[in-house]
Amino acid sequence: MSNLAQDVAKLARIDLPDDEAEATQANLEKVLNYVQQLESVQLPDDIEPFFGAIESVNAIRVDQTQPSFAREEILSNAPDSDGQFYKVPQVFE
Amino acid sequence: MSQTQEATETTQSQRDAVTDADVTLIVGLEVHVQLDTQSKLFCNCSTAYGADANTQTCPVCTGMPGTLPVINEQALKLAIKTGLALNCEIANYTKWDRKNYFYPDLPKGYQISQFDKPICGAGHLTIADPKGAFETRAIQIERAHLEEDAGKSIHDESGAKKPTKIDLNRTGTPLLEIVTKPDLRSAEEAKAFLTELKLILTYIGVSDCNMQEGSLRCDGNVNLHINVDGQKVATPIVEIKNLNSFRAAERAIGYEAERQLRVWKKDGLGIGEAPKQTRGWDVANQKTTPSREKEGAADYRYFPDPDLIAVVTTDQEIAAIGATIAHLPSALRTDLMENYGLEAYDTEVIVSQGAGVVAYYESVADFLTKSASGSKSPGKTASNWVAQEVLRYLNEQSCEVGDYPVSGEQLGELLVRISKGDFDQTRGKDVLAQMVENALDLDAAIEKLGIKAVDANEIQSLCQQLIDENPAVIEQIREGKGKAIGSLIGKARKLNPNINPNVVKENLLKQIGI
Repeated sequence: MSNLAQDVAKLARIDLPDDEAEATQANLEKVLNYVQQLESVQLPDDIEPFFGAIESVNAIRVDQTQPSFAREEILSNAPDSDGQFYKVPQVFE
Repeated sequence: MSQTQEATETTQSQRDAVTDADVTLIVGLEVHVQLDTQSKLFCNCSTAYGADANTQTCPVCTGMPGTLPVINEQALKLAIKTGLALNCEIANYTKWDRKNYFYPDLPKGYQISQFDKPICGAGHLTIADPKGAFETRAIQIERAHLEEDAGKSIHDESGAKKPTKIDLNRTGTPLLEIVTKPDLRSAEEAKAFLTELKLILTYIGVSDCNMQEGSLRCDGNVNLHINVDGQKVATPIVEIKNLNSFRAAERAIGYEAERQLRVWKKDGLGIGEAPKQTRGWDVANQKTTPSREKEGAADYRYFPDPDLIAVVTTDQEIAAIGATIAHLPSALRTDLMENYGLEAYDTEVIVSQGAGVVAYYESVADFLTKSASGSKSPGKTASNWVAQEVLRYLNEQSCEVGDYPVSGEQLGELLVRISKGDFDQTRGKDVLAQMVENALDLDAAIEKLGIKAVDANEIQSLCQQLIDENPAVIEQIREGKGKAIGSLIGKARKLNPNINPNVVKENLLKQIGI
């Protein structure tokens, strides 16, 4: 867990200064250690894994199209666009 | 891929001694198929290809906070149908997971996919080579899962570091990712697998499989198992991305096999001693090149998507979907070979064209078989005509068999007339051309060409004329040069296009006295 905070920061594309990294690391470790108590619970072998808090299933819709949003409206949420496309900085250097 | 064996230390002289016979190519494929739905996987936006950029999006597929995805019923059905056609176990319980990564064409910051409970489990697809280059083999399928597509990035290639442009129309389009076990042993087998998979998907109508439009995309995992003095050494696995044609897949895998052997002979690095690499296929230079991508292994941090609940499908529902699969190519091949006596090659020509051509062929062959025409091999005759005449027309006109102007029964009737000796094959093709070009029925086409049965007396006098006018040729025939008779038949055809060459030949020989 030595670089946990920096690893998570990297995955989240966040710059984490060294002075904050230490405290963040300690916090994350505390959270993980707390949750890890669950692993000590002994379960019978035939228990199915639990994937979510909602027990209902099959929320399904019919395959039908509806009008999409106007491009102008959708692109108005973008930091930058040319009226047709979203514009983003180049990913590769 | 699941190779986990430790690499074995090898010396340069051991590596130099390795020959092609010591090397086994190991290939697994991941194929993304766009399912043929009207709307996207989790929202009602259209999936139609070719619309103006960013005109088919909404708050759900652009990942706005507070929106909720709802699964498309048709996408589920098409996924199950595909799984059944690939002999997969279908899950009664399937769920959705988030695959987390940042990329500008993935607006939510995660892709909704399936991790540990995919809709389709283990299955297999059988590949064969009609030319016999490899053995018929069942290629194991590991799983097939549903997921949403990402958007499209248009990178600036000018070098001016202009912004990348993003079109999110494709975002949320339903994909089925089909993953094979590392079962394929050659580039040819990989191509055969893709060809057969595409054929099956087309037959069952789950995807248009249009590779230009990205409806079928393929990645390959490739490495080598090398026998070094009885020890198996594996080379590092390379993933080749975006093989966007079957030809590219075949070439790239073949190239990669050679490259890995070359590199290993030099550096001796085995699996686990070098990181898994991603490479792309460079069509222009016909080689694989390392992909531009971030360093470090991907960490997708899958977890169950809390916005979606599980889907439960009963065995009855699965069976009902299975009942919508009419014919699979493998069953049709068996039918054509057993019921019509076709060889594997001729069968493939028909079956590879799709269910419509198979049905057309069957109507021609059935008509010819049922009529008491005396045709010795009606199945083969029908396949010759369908393969040469009908398919050529469809190819030239770029149209479907449903657009072919002559019905299967009419073509069958034409073949009956030829078989009965009303006219010969060459004349028969003229008749068919009339039927196609002028939309005539069989009798009208025959009448238009002025074809009438030539009676025995006419043939006798025609033969006598040929004998009288061509003493040199007759001499050759008498000397045993059987082929010389061909020139007489050509002359006979010029004198009367309606004669049956076989009848003329028989009469000529009789009148010459052979």
